[in-house]
Amino acid sequence: MAVEQLDIHLVLMMPEILVAIMAMALLLLSAWTHKGGAGVIHWLTMMTIVAVVLVIQVGSGTATTFGGQFITDDFSRYVKVVMCLGMVLPVLMSADYIRGHGMDGGEYHVVTMFAMLGGMIMASSGGFLILYLGLELMSLSLYVLAAWRRDDRCSSEAGLKYFVLGSVASGLLLYGISMVYGVTGGTGFAEVASFLGKPEGHGSQLLALGVVMILAGMGFKIAAVPFHMWAPDVYQGAPTPVTAFMSVVPKVAAIAALFRILFDVFPTYHVQWVPILQLFAVLSMAVGAFGGLVQTNIKRLLAYSSIGHVGYMLIGLVANSQAGAQGVLVYITIYLFMTVGVFGLIIAFDRQGLGENISDYQGLARKQPVMAFVMAMFMFSMAGIPPLAGFIGKFSIFMAAVKGGFIPLAVVGVLFSAVGAFYYIRVVKVMYFDQPEGEFKVTLSGGGFIVVSLSLFMIFFWGILPGDLLAWTGASVQAFH
Amino acid sequence: MLEHYFPILVLLGAALAIGGGAMGFSYLVGPKRPYHEKLDQYECGFAPLGRIRMRFDVRFYLIAIIFIVFDIEAAFLFPWAVAFESIGLIGFIEMMLFLSVLLVGYAYVWKKGALEWE
Amino acid sequence: MSANLLILLAPLTGALVAGLLGRRIGSGLAIAATITGMLISAWLSIRVFSVVAVGDGPVIREEIFSWIVAGNFNVHFGILIDRITAIMLIVVSGISTLIHIYSIGYMADDPDEPRFFSYLSLFTFAMLALVTSDNFLQLFFGWEGVGLASYLLIGFWYKKESACNAAIKAFLVNRVGDFGFALGIFAIFMVFGTLDYDRVFQMAGAGEFKPTVDFLFFGDVDTITLICLLLFVGAMGKSAQFLLHTWLPDAMEGPTPVSALIHAATMVTAGVFMVCRASPLFELSETALGVVTVVGAVTAVFAASVGLVQNDIKKVIAYSTCSQLGYMFFSAGVSAYAASMFHLMTHAFFKALLFLSAGAVIHAMHHEQDMRRMGGLAKKIPITYGVMMLGTLALTGFPFLAGFYSKDAILESAYAAHTGLGTFAWIMGMLAAVMTTFYSFRLVFMTFHGKPADHHAYSHAHEAPWSMRGPLLVLAVGAVFAGMIGVPLVGEGWFKGAIVLGQGHDALAHAHHVPFWVKWLPFGAFVVGVYLAWLMYVRLPTLPGIVAETFRGTHRFLVNAWYFDRLYDWMFVTMAKKIGEGLWHTGDETIIDGFGVNGAAKMCTRIAGGLRWVQSGYIYHYAFAMIVGVLVLVTVYT
Repeated sequence: MAVEQLDIHLVLMMPEILVAIMAMALLLLSAWTHKGGAGVIHWLTMMTIVAVVLVIQVGSGTATTFGGQFITDDFSRYVKVVMCLGMVLPVLMSADYIRGHGMDGGEYHVVTMFAMLGGMIMASSGGFLILYLGLELMSLSLYVLAAWRRDDRCSSEAGLKYFVLGSVASGLLLYGISMVYGVTGGTGFAEVASFLGKPEGHGSQLLALGVVMILAGMGFKIAAVPFHMWAPDVYQGAPTPVTAFMSVVPKVAAIAALFRILFDVFPTYHVQWVPILQLFAVLSMAVGAFGGLVQTNIKRLLAYSSIGHVGYMLIGLVANSQAGAQGVLVYITIYLFMTVGVFGLIIAFDRQGLGENISDYQGLARKQPVMAFVMAMFMFSMAGIPPLAGFIGKFSIFMAAVKGGFIPLAVVGVLFSAVGAFYYIRVVKVMYFDQPEGEFKVTLSGGGFIVVSLSLFMIFFWGILPGDLLAWTGASVQAFH
Repeated sequence: MLEHYFPILVLLGAALAIGGGAMGFSYLVGPKRPYHEKLDQYECGFAPLGRIRMRFDVRFYLIAIIFIVFDIEAAFLFPWAVAFESIGLIGFIEMMLFLSVLLVGYAYVWKKGALEWE
Repeated sequence: MSANLLILLAPLTGALVAGLLGRRIGSGLAIAATITGMLISAWLSIRVFSVVAVGDGPVIREEIFSWIVAGNFNVHFGILIDRITAIMLIVVSGISTLIHIYSIGYMADDPDEPRFFSYLSLFTFAMLALVTSDNFLQLFFGWEGVGLASYLLIGFWYKKESACNAAIKAFLVNRVGDFGFALGIFAIFMVFGTLDYDRVFQMAGAGEFKPTVDFLFFGDVDTITLICLLLFVGAMGKSAQFLLHTWLPDAMEGPTPVSALIHAATMVTAGVFMVCRASPLFELSETALGVVTVVGAVTAVFAASVGLVQNDIKKVIAYSTCSQLGYMFFSAGVSAYAASMFHLMTHAFFKALLFLSAGAVIHAMHHEQDMRRMGGLAKKIPITYGVMMLGTLALTGFPFLAGFYSKDAILESAYAAHTGLGTFAWIMGMLAAVMTTFYSFRLVFMTFHGKPADHHAYSHAHEAPWSMRGPLLVLAVGAVFAGMIGVPLVGEGWFKGAIVLGQGHDALAHAHHVPFWVKWLPFGAFVVGVYLAWLMYVRLPTLPGIVAETFRGTHRFLVNAWYFDRLYDWMFVTMAKKIGEGLWHTGDETIIDGFGVNGAAKMCTRIAGGLRWVQSGYIYHYAFAMIVGVLVLVTVYT
């Protein structure tokens, strides 16, 4: 095999390479500088991500490399930018949380970067193997992150549970992939798709089994019911910045991978996967709506909230159309800012040793009206109340579902979002109508202030003028169908 | 396609039959007269010094994990060396990249003192 | 900006200045602002009147601005001044100006003077908008505007519970009428596709409409009858006609100038004005005219009968107003619209005069309104006595005073109609005329003659200040001469195109040719009434008690105003409350809350509890759930 026959265009992988090199460099830096280098690493991480975003922006068009195993297109670029934001904003807002909880060795940043790198590879994957590679890189990093506070029982428990269950999920995924390989004789998306396009590619039981397994494996990553059980425990136990990170980036990555699998590989099998995802969506919305009702811990509450949000996103996939795909991207982008904003506030509370219990927010409106207002806005946005951006997200999803003929699904979604609104608004009620207990003053750190105000701005801005967001996401999903 | 796996099925069946047969037969025919020492844990013939369920030092795990990493590296190196002629310069560069990534980890582990038994 | 528009805008400006800046600039300037506005408006009205009504000027039509444009619904805000409007203009702005001036003295002690004057001017603006309208929607705007002002002014002393209740009552009863009125306007738009008077009347005259429409569960009904009856329901509410009259006596809770302006001279006549204005429609429906006649005639007798036994000086005049409005309606019902308008005008003068004189009496007696506690006041306040006597004579139709001309025109028209209903109305009108004279002179005798009942109040009684006396004198002049001057109104064709008469509807034209005894019978009624009143309240002061005792049932029936308030209270208030409570307890609490809201919430909590139980925290449970999930998917979907 001669060199010139190899299809290697490293330039397409520049963002990933940049992240990998910088992560390794920072790892070495952290080993050699001890604690003194933490600040430097923090800012170098920021700059790296900014650089990565810029590099991503340089690319254009659709191209593949490594024999089609690695794809860059508008979609992957959009998703990668979202992931970069999902990584950099939690890090930015939690600089002093990291310091305060002994997480400032610098490795935290490195492992986060590795997790993101895994996600980016998933988004660009052109075959099942590289998809699995990215998934494992991301997952392993996340296990470590979840258990980062070794001295904390909850954190260790979170890491362990995540790891064990994640391994089961990975096993399911691999099993599914092997079945697909067994039937089609390939692992590249293009190969599998071309095989399925032929007459003999239809109606294979084994392949259907493989699809189910793959969906189960991916469902675990996005915490779709019934593969969601880990989420509340892990969200609660993991350090708050990690929770913020993992409620966005892994979901974005897994959803992106699902886009590729469903739309590029198995479009002809949609009779198969649409009902499954429909089931996932309904169950997720239900569990997300009802599960949150009785929670007292806000991180646990947000875990159920994220399960619910995943349910809505899945509706967009079920719609099996460009509008649906666009709705998912819109939703996930808005979801990013809402989630990051709320976690920013929780971290601000954590600075006072508070903030995990919903009762800690009692009477916040009297003591700190601005803080309470901001929190209330995030909650209303999560509940999908106009004119905040959360409404736009739900609206585009439901519109896509209705256009795709999934009217009952949209109705169910609206009903569950009404149930779910209860617990978001309960937080508002606690802040505004309950008597305050104890004296404290919650302040945001500098980074926290930037992140929270940016998030607040975005949910208002996109709530009122969603035009740009719709245009970008619309352009990004042109590749599908 | 499945018929190619038939020998494996035969092998599996034979293994199960032999293993299960031996254990089942001895269970059936062997005399059973248990007493304390007989049921105690086996420790090279002398009386046991401590409880059997003791914690291993975490350093064993560290060493084991690092060993596995380098073990796999070796496992990669063998086929690479065999096929070196045909994969040429690109193969060489790729292996060097792989090794340098491992080297970064190795350096980190070393610097962090994970290799010292103290 | 045209001078005609200024007629409307001047009072509005005054109202805004007094209302918004009243506290800032003080009551003196606020009053000055409103009165200036009124003077401008009155002067311009007189000018317009002299052009349109006295001279032979053309009808003024102006489009001010495009108001609502929605599809084929197109309404503009406009001004239409023909001879009907001209008369209304002079009545409204003239009397309003006088009452503004009168209020300076009457309201002098009140701390909320700017608010009062602001409301008065606001009322005037709305009333002027009503009468100058050239389409039904603007009419409705003014209609609701005067209703609002009436509500605000009845409840002006909002700290008094009775005043607040009266205000709410007035508003609610008017709502019933306005509902019909609004439906009528909808029907007009539905049938004619426009709300402009000119277009509607022209199309109606030419017969360009569907003869029947399907209305609710009544099936197909005659289009014009339906429209007219619905409009008339509105008129019944606003003009306090029988069945919807209950709010007017209670409205006397407001300050007396308000009673004079709104509940005697102007607002309550809006219904009459509207019927006259819509004469081209009413003329097309004998049924509607019949209903108008009967309702008017019944109201005339009913209100007069209740007025016989009232002791509150203002209530007597209020029932009198109600009764006189009945005259105006049955006159319109026999197609003598001109007589209606004529009586409307003269009535505005003498009734405002009566109210203001009553106000002067109340003022003199330190806010005492019960006539039984008055008496012999003629000596203490001779000027008030004089003007009140003039007003009473004008009302009772003493020869050559205002009421003599207008009331006689009405009664003669009713007689000359030569229809069953016309004769009925004529008999009722005569009956009411006797009673009118009786209660009017009863009022005068009880208040000004005899012996003072309350010596303390009597000794402190004093003549009103000049700001109050001035308007009284001006109105007295009006009460004397308005009839004489206004006679041409009932002449043939004075209103030109503003009033349209149907074929054979010539009661008014024949009114001059009625027999001699018909012409002089009203005077006979006057004499009888005066004699009875003199007999009972001057000659034999014990007689009323004896009569009341003898006809106890009748007396109680009258004192309680035919038990209408109690009937309505039982029929609507109690029933509505019962229905409301039923809906509240069974409908809302048990069904909606129990099964819907709380039931759903309870179910949610139960589901959530179940989910919490599933979320045990054990890894193997979680893994088990995953495996079960996969198995289910595999079995179901492959």
